[in-house]
Amino acid sequence: MSSAYPYEYYVDIVTKRYFDGVDNKQLDQILDCFHEDAVLKEMTSDTTHAGRDTGIKGMFERLIVDNGRVWHGNFVHTVDVEGEAICSQFSVEVEPTALGLGPLRYENCNRFYLKDGKFTEVFVYMSGQNLLT
Amino acid sequence: MQYVSELGRDELIDLATQKYFGNVDGKNMDAVLDCFHNEALFTIQTDHTTHSGIGEIRQMFENFFAGYETIVHKDFTCTVDPDNGRICAVFNVEVTDHEGVVTRMQNTNFWRVRGNKFQEVYVYMSGANVLVRE
Repeated sequence: MSSAYPYEYYVDIVTKRYFDGVDNKQLDQILDCFHEDAVLKEMTSDTTHAGRDTGIKGMFERLIVDNGRVWHGNFVHTVDVEGEAICSQFSVEVEPTALGLGPLRYENCNRFYLKDGKFTEVFVYMSGQNLLT
Repeated sequence: MQYVSELGRDELIDLATQKYFGNVDGKNMDAVLDCFHNEALFTIQTDHTTHSGIGEIRQMFENFFAGYETIVHKDFTCTVDPDNGRICAVFNVEVTDHEGVVTRMQNTNFWRVRGNKFQEVYVYMSGANVLVRE
């Protein structure tokens, strides 16, 4: 029961495709990481966004518009090739311009579950105020 | 920090879910602490709190065990990276205090193993921190 995708594929889709797209506000690049029926859930505020082209797209459209600089880094990954999953810990820096706040710093984690190389479920834990509204 | 682990996939799962959480739920302090190196770090990331070293970790568990009548961790889904000595698990938590008030959460833990014990533990809670420190 081995995945068709190697260890580095999981690191690359999270860092070089997904979070690179988020940090550079490239909506198509972000959404291309998800299956059409994917679900993204923010656990610390119990908020669910369902559907790549509906709930998830709307969430990222708001994230892109509502915030200035967005940066994700300092990654530590737990990669399970057999289980087609990657759990990542990382730092986030955000300028929440729409909220009129100064720069915010988070220490977050995400759990990504994949099928055929794309996200089916993503779970987010944030160490502060939820910006994924 | 990257550590060298001696544990394979099944051993990492056993350490996290049975030796650790099995003994947390049983309030077996010595067996819980035996999962940690003396200089281990235990961070509740969603509460910006770190317990440094086995003494602070013991104090945290003494408070936790005293604060709740029953402690249950169950329904584990593990993500295992044996090449790097790392394991992540999501699980349901159900704690009941001495007045019968039940708190339920779905938390995620990350463990980094050096040798055959925890060197670093990170907890992300879906609710308020129940691992309160004095």
